[in-house]
Amino acid sequence: MRRIYLVLALVLVAGLAAPGAAQQKLKAGFIYVGPIGDYGWTHAHDEGRRLAQQRLPWLETIYVESVPEGQVEPFIERMIQQGARVVFTTSFGFMDGTLAAARRYPNHIFAHASGFKRNRNMATYMADFYQVYYLNGLMAGALTKTGRTAYVGAFPIPEVKRHLNAFALGVRAVNPQATVHVRWIFEWFNPAAAKEATEALIAAGADVFAFTEDSPTVVQVAARRNLPSFGHYSPMQKFAPRHVVSGQLVHWDRIYIDFLSKVYAGRYTADNLADVDYWWLLAEKAVELGGEPGVPVNPVFRTALQAARVNTPDLGRISVYDLVMRRLAQMATPQMTFDPFTGPIRDRKGTLRAPAGKRLTVAELTSMEWAAPGVVGPWPKEP
Amino acid sequence: MEEGNWILATVIRAVALGTPILWGTLGEITAERSGVINLGVEGMMILGALAAFVVAHLTGQPTAGLVVAAAVGGAAALLHAFISITLRANQYVSGLALTMFGLGLAGLLGRGWEGRPLLDTLPEISALTYAGLGVAVALWVVFYHTRWGIVLRSVGEMPAAADALGVNVALVRYLAVAFGGVMAGAAGAFLSLAYRPAWTEGMTAGMGWIVIAIAIFAAWDPLRAVAGALLFGALFHLSFRLQAWVAPELLKMMPFAFTILALAATAGGRRGLGAPEALGTPYVTGER
Repeated sequence: MRRIYLVLALVLVAGLAAPGAAQQKLKAGFIYVGPIGDYGWTHAHDEGRRLAQQRLPWLETIYVESVPEGQVEPFIERMIQQGARVVFTTSFGFMDGTLAAARRYPNHIFAHASGFKRNRNMATYMADFYQVYYLNGLMAGALTKTGRTAYVGAFPIPEVKRHLNAFALGVRAVNPQATVHVRWIFEWFNPAAAKEATEALIAAGADVFAFTEDSPTVVQVAARRNLPSFGHYSPMQKFAPRHVVSGQLVHWDRIYIDFLSKVYAGRYTADNLADVDYWWLLAEKAVELGGEPGVPVNPVFRTALQAARVNTPDLGRISVYDLVMRRLAQMATPQMTFDPFTGPIRDRKGTLRAPAGKRLTVAELTSMEWAAPGVVGPWPKEP
Repeated sequence: MEEGNWILATVIRAVALGTPILWGTLGEITAERSGVINLGVEGMMILGALAAFVVAHLTGQPTAGLVVAAAVGGAAALLHAFISITLRANQYVSGLALTMFGLGLAGLLGRGWEGRPLLDTLPEISALTYAGLGVAVALWVVFYHTRWGIVLRSVGEMPAAADALGVNVALVRYLAVAFGGVMAGAAGAFLSLAYRPAWTEGMTAGMGWIVIAIAIFAAWDPLRAVAGALLFGALFHLSFRLQAWVAPELLKMMPFAFTILALAATAGGRRGLGAPEALGTPYVTGER
């Protein structure tokens, strides 16, 4: 009898000790280009990091913020010295530095956001908004009274142009005469520039606003003039509860948790990442439609969107509210039965960019320089 | 909203954006008139912006936020004053350090305050705007038509002479630098309470440096500072209005280049572009 107790005790001790011994922590480092208090890009990445850490008990994370582009290598090195086995670099400008580090540390795992260079131990990942911008565009097309919608753009680069074009395609799908007026601020974050650009667009007669800039400035300026807008990146409906129609939200945690789990399970190693490219959209739930999580369309605007009706080739005559919901559902399925960049699409100069029935490839989307019909305003590097 | 309103709209935008720039510039001009350059404007502004936002958020009183921001700006400036006046350290280094310190501290203390809407805000064109113009006129009168102004300017031009006449050089400089901080803090408050009522890390986004440039190119003249701030505000706004016709890459530099050119070109007046003679030089009693 006594022996049984002893055995039991041993089993108990072993049972307690075993998970402790087996539970290897995985340390991941995150390198941010901006401050985590920016309420935009870096803030969202850090939210993703924190959620991943909460969700994955074996995960340990470290981060460094406001790292200048082009100086990323020493920061990567320091993280590796601190014991990080996985390093995420979260800015396009970190691309070459990350690749150099990946070659120097062949046994570590790297993942670079928004770039296109990969290596056997370096993956790429991106949560892209173009589908969400299209849905925002559908609503903007229905809500504009002047026929002029507006977009404050950060930089005239393919990423922003793709989003702007998706927005414009949405606007025109509902309102074929409407235009999208563009102003560029040449910065990712500059509230004063975003504010004056919005004021300039208001002065030009625009009355619905979308944007790419890391602050709620555009939303606030539009709301002061009683004009509707779409939030960008972070939940912005609370900044103008009666004026934010919808917007784009990101969930980097979806990608971080998936990637890190696969690393932890041994499916991703420092040898098999050369073709690992996360291009995650609505279907993967890496992005979400709404100005507030769980609220795809602000109820304040529901009646107006239900009253606006539009003819579609595939769904017949339908209210814009229902159209948004149908398109959202179509894009949220893994089969993606709808995509905004499906031909025929001509650019604003008339050049055919996608033949009838053909969808643009990821490569075509990420190198987009042309402007969609209805876009009015400067377009640097227009082909 | 067509062409007829262009002038009015531009004037309104010029005044709105010009207000925080004017407040900061008037403060910097006063400090520099006493011989102390303060490159910490950006740091003082952002500390003011955060303080104003937090206080307004907690109390529901934007005016209280403004007052606290002014005090915080003044306190930050006293740090620069202590290092550069009492310890006689290099003013440029101390000011740069204050900018970095302010940006860093505000970023740290502001954690968690981003993404919060402010319910009680100040109007964009408000008493602050008129107060800025009033302070400019008052400073002009003080600088050129009062004994205080002579004392201030002589401390900035020839501190040894002022000292010999019994002026407390350090005290005058301390007061001038602190005033500069109060004005910068209030300018920051305007940003987070009126211009764009929200807190975001780094929200001053370089405005402190525009202030320093305008202080210099306004030739340390408060009334010219008004012209500089309003001109910059107008051109900054127009740089977006005009994008419909002019390449945006060109327009991006326009407000900076034109404001500086315009101020420099009209500076040939009675006082010229001369900086205060002792600007940037710590004063040591008995040394020349």
